[in-house]
Amino acid sequence: MKAMTINIDQRKKTKWKKVIAITAIILVIVSLLYTFAYLRHDSNHVDMGNRLAGMSLEHPLGTDHLGRDMLTRIWIGAQYTIGYSALALLASLLIGVPIGLLSGYFKGMIDRVFMRSADAFLAFPDTIVAIVLAGLLGPGIGNLILAITLIKWVNYARLVRSTVLAESQKEYIWIAKMNGLSPRKIVSKHLFPHVIGSVLVMASLDFGKVILLISAFSYIGLGVQPPMPEWGAMLNELRPYFNSMPQLMLYPGLAIVIVVLLTNLLGDYLRDYFDVKKEGKV
Amino acid sequence: MIVDVQHVTKSYQGSKNILRDVSFTVEKGECLGLVGESGCGKSTLAKCLLRMEPIDSGSIQFNGQAIESLSERKLRPIRRKMQIVFQNPTASLNPKLKIKDSLLDPIEQLKGEADLNYFQFTSKKDYIRQLLEVVELPASMADRYPHQLSGGQRQRVTIARAISMEPELIVLDEPTASLDVISQGVVLELLDDLRRKLNLSYLFISHDLAAVHQMSQRIMVMKDGEVTDLFDKEDIFSDQRHAYTKELISIF
Amino acid sequence: MILSIKDVTIKNKDNTIIDNVSLSIREGEWFALVGQSGSGKSMITQAIGQLLPSSLKVEGNIYLRDTDLLSLDKKEIRQVRGKRITYIFQNYLGSFTPFHTIEHHFKEYMRVQGLNDTKLQNERMIESLESVALSQHLLKRFPSQLSGGQLQRVSIALALLFSPDIVIADEMTTALDSVSGYKILELLKQRQKETNCTILFITHDWRHVRKYADRLAVMKDGQIIESGGKHRILDHPQHSYTKQLIKAAPLLRKQLPSGLDQEEIL
Repeated sequence: MKAMTINIDQRKKTKWKKVIAITAIILVIVSLLYTFAYLRHDSNHVDMGNRLAGMSLEHPLGTDHLGRDMLTRIWIGAQYTIGYSALALLASLLIGVPIGLLSGYFKGMIDRVFMRSADAFLAFPDTIVAIVLAGLLGPGIGNLILAITLIKWVNYARLVRSTVLAESQKEYIWIAKMNGLSPRKIVSKHLFPHVIGSVLVMASLDFGKVILLISAFSYIGLGVQPPMPEWGAMLNELRPYFNSMPQLMLYPGLAIVIVVLLTNLLGDYLRDYFDVKKEGKV
Repeated sequence: MIVDVQHVTKSYQGSKNILRDVSFTVEKGECLGLVGESGCGKSTLAKCLLRMEPIDSGSIQFNGQAIESLSERKLRPIRRKMQIVFQNPTASLNPKLKIKDSLLDPIEQLKGEADLNYFQFTSKKDYIRQLLEVVELPASMADRYPHQLSGGQRQRVTIARAISMEPELIVLDEPTASLDVISQGVVLELLDDLRRKLNLSYLFISHDLAAVHQMSQRIMVMKDGEVTDLFDKEDIFSDQRHAYTKELISIF
Repeated sequence: MILSIKDVTIKNKDNTIIDNVSLSIREGEWFALVGQSGSGKSMITQAIGQLLPSSLKVEGNIYLRDTDLLSLDKKEIRQVRGKRITYIFQNYLGSFTPFHTIEHHFKEYMRVQGLNDTKLQNERMIESLESVALSQHLLKRFPSQLSGGQLQRVSIALALLFSPDIVIADEMTTALDSVSGYKILELLKQRQKETNCTILFITHDWRHVRKYADRLAVMKDGQIIESGGKHRILDHPQHSYTKQLIKAAPLLRKQLPSGLDQEEIL
């Protein structure tokens, strides 16, 4: 009985989440079609005669201080903001996960080298490292992604390493070794499934943070450079018009919030998906 | 003779000897029981016997071949013939793998044909069905995850994996200690059946003298890293037993 | 009857966990409550001292001599616990605060029970350590510096310190290996003889039942399925589950499950 009540609660919760996710997807598709199939504005097309225009069918979110269509810029910006964040995360995963697996499984010298360097990165707060790197390498999105990767891989390596260390102690790994499984096979068949779930969940939660980081750096001028319509950069550009047209700053801000929320939902979903204990009953 | 252990000594850095001059043999098809308190060195002995730990001195022969200093590569074909079942079935199965994937681990490592006699199969599926059948589990368990099984069922899966390559020796390290009373009895019975059916040899390690007595033909008693007594099952109440053995008997 | 459990039912929001259990324990006896894990045997012992979380509802009566323990308020039950009812648990490390010495545990317990005179405290402490065959220098040690067997001896010493009416021993040897477990139980038996205390012994191990119990009850799924004298139940079990349990535990000698030799009966 007890187990059943929990199940119903969870089903309600997942149903609620599904409704949100589906609504969001429909909204995205409709607005994408409207923007690119119907309006077909150029995101960088300057139209000074039509600057800071209000809402209309032609410009559903109005125009900015250079008369550029806001909706189009938000959508083009999505490519940059989300794309760069995904790129930075992917790079972090590709570096962090293998290092964590190797460190945790082989221990010894490899582990010491990797983990000491990870400690060095961990000693500084994210933003400080990013600012220093951007300062050293110069502003620009490439350097920003590099900086984010250098900060983030450490988290993944440590997460993976600690999971692998704990699992390696268990008897099933002993038995796999005794049965002649090669280290590669043990890592891929036995250890990787333990790691992948938590890594993807962590990545989906990090996604929001990285978006905020890129936007924040673009806002202070160290990331994406104008006229590229990255959301943080847009916020920065529109700052002087906050008093007269506050909604202009609201749009990119809202876009960031929505994406962060959606990635968190995605994280929840991934966690359930990779938890074998969730499917089926005893 | 499957196993011949002579004068094995083992110590860890900074501690007294864990194993002191341990000698014994295991015959083909025999169950040798090993009783002792926790910390007497019985688990270390099991690990040394299977070369999971190196020994300091002495010799270990498996089927007439000395294995104490064989390279890992030469050891590989021998490893298949000696298996272990641990106390805790939960830790012995990867929780993220389906039962069938855990069961396939040993045979997937084979290059070329498996020379199995008892298990004659046409497909992987057939092989798994037979493995589960021999430990009295339904074939439908193959697609489950370990957490969907009871402790007793899980231990049967680890037993199925241990016999999957038709080994000659299985070390049973307290195989029933973490099971409830009823499953304990059932699993012991199953192990005894399998020994006869597959002509297996066991080193059965336990602190439960009654269980060891039920399962074994000969019983070895260890205390503080030494073998203090080694006798045929029938002679357990003999006057010649070591004082410590008598103390153990008085408990039961 | 020193302890009578009458029609006790324990429920949570959705389930009945303990279903109408009644038990009587006689003065000075060793009463064993046997069952698999999850049968609810520990829950009953916790209900006796009102140790269950408030989400569980307990119905029925539990009498310690003439006092209904379930009707006592928090303050009153605290006075019963530790003085008239004491516990020994399976998890001996969890029973002690890791950063307090053994002496600290003794003194704190005595203070709580109203014994404040230092000289008397010391006398009692040393006397009670001697009774469980432990030397005095252990007093200055911390729990982690003692072996499991030693800690369970200290548990016995603490449990018997104020001559309680009943000692509840919940799987107290399960975490120990069989030799030290045996030594502990021998000691408890000896102390029982000396102090004439009553023992409610929770176990799943027939060996201990066979050796020490006077009477016993078998629990399954929150119900008592069989209870009575040791020899009656072990040698002539009525319920099929009891039979199954007894059969599953191997015997060393050719003897009756109760430990009586075949010849003695004939």
